[in-house]
Amino acid sequence: MMSIEIEAWVRMAAFVGAGFSMGFGAIGAAIGEGFAAAKANNAISQNPTYSGDIVKMMLVGQAIAETAAIFALVIGVLLLFATGGNASMITAAGLLGAGLSMGLGAIGSGVGSGFPAGEACDGLSRQPALSRTLTTTMLIGSAVSQTPAIFSMVIAFMLMFVNFSGGSPHMVAALLGSGLCMGFGAIGSGIGSGFPAGQACVGLARQPAMGSRLTTNMLIGAAVSQTPAIFAMVVSFMLMFISFAGTPVHPTSAALLGAGLATGLAAIGSGVGSGLAAGSGVEGWARQPTATGNVLVIMLVGQAVSQTPSIFGLLISFILIFKGYPSTEVFLVSTALISAGLCTGLGGIGSGVGNGQVAQTAVSWVARNVEQEALLMRTMLVGQAVSQSTAIYAMVISLALIFLV
Amino acid sequence: MEELGKIHQLIVTVSDYKMTFNLDIIAMTWLVIIGLLIFGYFAARKQQMIPGTLQTIGEAFVFQFYSLTEDALGEDMAKTYGPMIIALFMFLLFCNWIGFIPHLYEPTNDLNTPLSLGLMGFVIAHYAGIRQKGFKKYIKAYFDPIFFMAPLNIIGEISKVISISFRLFGNIMGGTIIVLVVSHLVFSLVLPPFLNAFFVIFIGGIQAFVFTMLTLVYIAVQVN
Amino acid sequence: MIEGADLIQAAAFLGAGLAMGLGAIGPGLGEGMVGAKACEAIGKNPSEAGLLTRTMLVGQAVSESTGIYSLVIALLLLFVV
Repeated sequence: MMSIEIEAWVRMAAFVGAGFSMGFGAIGAAIGEGFAAAKANNAISQNPTYSGDIVKMMLVGQAIAETAAIFALVIGVLLLFATGGNASMITAAGLLGAGLSMGLGAIGSGVGSGFPAGEACDGLSRQPALSRTLTTTMLIGSAVSQTPAIFSMVIAFMLMFVNFSGGSPHMVAALLGSGLCMGFGAIGSGIGSGFPAGQACVGLARQPAMGSRLTTNMLIGAAVSQTPAIFAMVVSFMLMFISFAGTPVHPTSAALLGAGLATGLAAIGSGVGSGLAAGSGVEGWARQPTATGNVLVIMLVGQAVSQTPSIFGLLISFILIFKGYPSTEVFLVSTALISAGLCTGLGGIGSGVGNGQVAQTAVSWVARNVEQEALLMRTMLVGQAVSQSTAIYAMVISLALIFLV
Repeated sequence: MEELGKIHQLIVTVSDYKMTFNLDIIAMTWLVIIGLLIFGYFAARKQQMIPGTLQTIGEAFVFQFYSLTEDALGEDMAKTYGPMIIALFMFLLFCNWIGFIPHLYEPTNDLNTPLSLGLMGFVIAHYAGIRQKGFKKYIKAYFDPIFFMAPLNIIGEISKVISISFRLFGNIMGGTIIVLVVSHLVFSLVLPPFLNAFFVIFIGGIQAFVFTMLTLVYIAVQVN
Repeated sequence: MIEGADLIQAAAFLGAGLAMGLGAIGPGLGEGMVGAKACEAIGKNPSEAGLLTRTMLVGQAVSESTGIYSLVIALLLLFVV
């Protein structure tokens, strides 16, 4: 067995974390900026007279979409040159977790803030006179889409600069779990809050008179789509700051890692799903200004149901964190707990997106056919309940893994 | 980096229970309240047909948010809840913008402020729901669509408080951290003031609006 | 010390979690699509709501079958193997 000093482990963790941060962090911004550029090309081909304005709009939008990647760059650079406090495995885990949190967390916001940038270019080609209002709406929309990346950065900073090294040995797993939870958890909400932001730019070009009310609905929709990311942030905080000193190291460490994975992964689906519902809510306001109240109600109900899978994830995380475990060195108990977290987390992704699709269509048809609101609401709830069943199966398997094994 | 997490605290021990007061945050909150009172006094002192600057700003706040409340709750209930919504927004906006003045910082940067405001909104929304629909119908809403959804509905309601307060807290704190780090990296050259303006004025304003609108929407959902 | 039997049992647990977790993604998405299309159809033609809801439920039940296969495999891995 080769022996490696603790200092070397800390340096290694910092370098790998820096790689994760910038590597993952570049994915989203690149996709988002590509979307903006594609839409801008399309827009110029439709209306070449305003090509100068469209290019300007595209550049401004892309600059904002790049924010998340710049956050990742800052964290990456800090990780490269961070001297680190006390050399211990806990510090190493914190640095690796910080890289994962920021890198994964930047994906969603990068993609999401590309949508308003692209749709604003498209809108400009249709309504060149609206250039100023479109820019404002796009800026607000992109800024709101950055919120999940900001959450990831807050967690990354705490993992890097709060001194955990005096803590119990569980902290290695807890800090890794915390980083993974926030990183995965921000992906869905970042993409999701881009949908209403994009639709607000589309709607503005169609119904300029609805301008400020579309912005209001966009902000509400995007804010509610960020709830799963906030669940992930809460679990990350809990993993960092609850002391597990009295509990046995095995299998509690595995339970903490599992808790991070459950909420983080489950939040991906719910974030995208509630974003889909929010997007069609904004579209509905632009299409049918007289039905704004009905559209808002069904949008909020649809979003709330789409967030159920992430609440399942939160439930499993809480059970994993707070259930006491007898001390055991047996390897398979740890495996069972990690796999319980993975199961609910992965199982929630599909249901979250699926529920969002149902809500999206129901909302857009309420805007077109207000008289059938009650019928559509009923059908939506039945459809969502059925498509949630697989997430419930996953939760049952997780509970069996936690309690029966 | 030492500025992170440094705070003046007053710890009062009552029998074996410790109460912690964050003195800086309390002072900043009172500063905001006094600032708002002064603003309100001067804005409403001489009301004229052709308004002065302060009266125009005050009327803009009142008119904008009163009409948003009317949109969501209808004319009758807007009379009850409108003033609260307007006051909530102005309080949050002043809280978030006070960080722009050197040596002062945002009360919303401490989780206690958004959490207590979130709890307040939660209580008001449920009180409004019970008063509007009656207790029986209010309870029945938890068993919708099927009876065994009740635990999930309750968790969903509680999670609203958590999400609304952590959203504000995370955004304001994130802004503070970014400005701090960039100032460390570039030694306060040019960039930090602009970044500070972006996060404090722009993000702070948006998040104050989002918090207020969500409180309003939560009331509307309970009432309908 | 990790023994062979332990390792096999641990692999079974991990397999159960992954089988159900990954297996739930597809049906969740698929049933969502069915529900979305049903809402659209009812929006266009509300008079056929009953028929459409029945069709939706049948379609969802069929697309859920793969999720149930995953559940069966997960339960087998947990309790039988």
